[in-house]
Amino acid sequence: MTRSSTPSTASRTSSSSHPSPSHPPFTAADDLPSESASAHHAPPDPRRGRGWGTAGFSVGATLALIVALTAFAEIGSRAGWWNDHVLPAPSVIFTELGVLLTERQFWIDAQRTGIEVAASIVFGCLLGFAAGLLFWKVPLLGRVFEPYLVSFYAVPLVLFYPVMIVLVGINAMSVIILATIMAAIPMALNTAVGLNQMPPVYLKLARSLRTSPRQTLFAIAIPAAGPFIVAGLRLAVVYALIGTIAMEFTTAQAGLGYRIRYLYEIFDNIGMFAYIVVVLVLSCLLTVALAAVERVLLRGRNS
Amino acid sequence: MDPQGIEMTGLSVVFDTAARRVTAVTDIDQIVPHSSFVSIVGPSGCGKSTLLAVVAGLQKATTGAVSVAGRPVTGPDPKIGVVFQEDSTLPWRTVEENVAFAMEMIGTPKPERRKRTKDAIELVGLAGFEKSYPSQLSGGMRQRVALARTLAVQPEVVLMDEPFAALDQQTRLFLGAEVRQIWARTKQTIMFVTHDISEAILLSQQVWVMSYRPGTIIDVVDIDLPGERDAGVVSTPRFNELHNRIWGSLQAESMRGFQQQEASST
Repeated sequence: MTRSSTPSTASRTSSSSHPSPSHPPFTAADDLPSESASAHHAPPDPRRGRGWGTAGFSVGATLALIVALTAFAEIGSRAGWWNDHVLPAPSVIFTELGVLLTERQFWIDAQRTGIEVAASIVFGCLLGFAAGLLFWKVPLLGRVFEPYLVSFYAVPLVLFYPVMIVLVGINAMSVIILATIMAAIPMALNTAVGLNQMPPVYLKLARSLRTSPRQTLFAIAIPAAGPFIVAGLRLAVVYALIGTIAMEFTTAQAGLGYRIRYLYEIFDNIGMFAYIVVVLVLSCLLTVALAAVERVLLRGRNS
Repeated sequence: MDPQGIEMTGLSVVFDTAARRVTAVTDIDQIVPHSSFVSIVGPSGCGKSTLLAVVAGLQKATTGAVSVAGRPVTGPDPKIGVVFQEDSTLPWRTVEENVAFAMEMIGTPKPERRKRTKDAIELVGLAGFEKSYPSQLSGGMRQRVALARTLAVQPEVVLMDEPFAALDQQTRLFLGAEVRQIWARTKQTIMFVTHDISEAILLSQQVWVMSYRPGTIIDVVDIDLPGERDAGVVSTPRFNELHNRIWGSLQAESMRGFQQQEASST
């Protein structure tokens, strides 16, 4: 119950930092010609200014929300609205966090998790992208394998972690492999969908200009599928993080997830919450980095 | 014989599908002279677009041959510019990047590309919108971008496949008049497909009327309206005469097409 109140701050952060997370893929693909000649052609500069304005607003709102929640938790904890074991006062947690940051143990765990997450994101995205490309280029493969990927989506792949441990052992590799697969699936599906929904006229244009296969891929197909690929990227990052932390939680000998469970088991409540804050900060950082990547990749698309 | 224009000899296209054979286009023997503006009108489903695709090299002819500027067409060629019916602007590129796109693909050197991009944007009246993205433009403006992209390549001929079909009537007439002016300045050979008789008359020097499937040219009408025309020409008596003549040839074909489609759909 308490745990769920803190993560909700993080999820709000992620949704407010980019305006329309639910349907960015369709803005670019569906822009059919509008009827009237003078309907909407605002000069580009003011709208860019407004874009930064909304970004500033959401950053401000997020900060205000975090401050408000922290203040609430502090007051509630001091006033004895709930037991200290449920949620210690943020001031206590942050003090503990300050101590942690000076400890070698903490940095070993953070490094381990960081490497695992980063490796799963990179490998997962590359693998998923390659698979999506293949499904598009060879529609037969897509028809055969896509249904399995879609149903795999619904399977909590963490279930296979014991199998992976038997195969690879309890180490970073087994976590990376499974988290990579978890990240690759949404990336592959999104890439394939993005490429397949590309307006046929783009390929007609490519044919009429006799573009090389390379030009067709890099100058037309990949940018055309851009919004879908970015959506896949976002899911891949989230899945890599969830997968890594969850598997560390289950069985591992180091990592942030492992440490949280360990502290939970030895009743070190304050230390546990300090680590939870670290994971939340990590997920916020990833979200911010994603938003920046998105801004660069999708410039001009969000009308 | 004019070696610079478009020449079609004994052209026909037959589509073999599992269900049946459809002759889309048959017996086309026509010439589009150099620097002239020819429109093709016909009922929907008559194969106008197929004919255009064959001239563009995007579709293989079953029999016959096409040559552009004296060379036989064997496949797509950047020298044959095509403006599509659908919105073909690329949403991730600005107007100027869109216009430069075709030149980038065929490897036009950069300084030349920059100059031609600027000229083409001015020609289609989009100066001031160079940095805008297609999502910030109206449908009519996007088609201008597509037209500028095609013109910037400096093709031998320009083929336009109902480029304004998705636009409203006023925008259409207005853009049509602009295309006409652009043509008057560049003297590019243009083949223009439309189902709108007024548009065809307004734009062209010559209008070909196509029959319903199998499509063939059943009437060739020279448009003897003044060279300098704007959208106001639609209210002149001569325009009406031409309109009536084309409508007369088209009416029977449209009915035939309509009845066939009705029959096949029931």
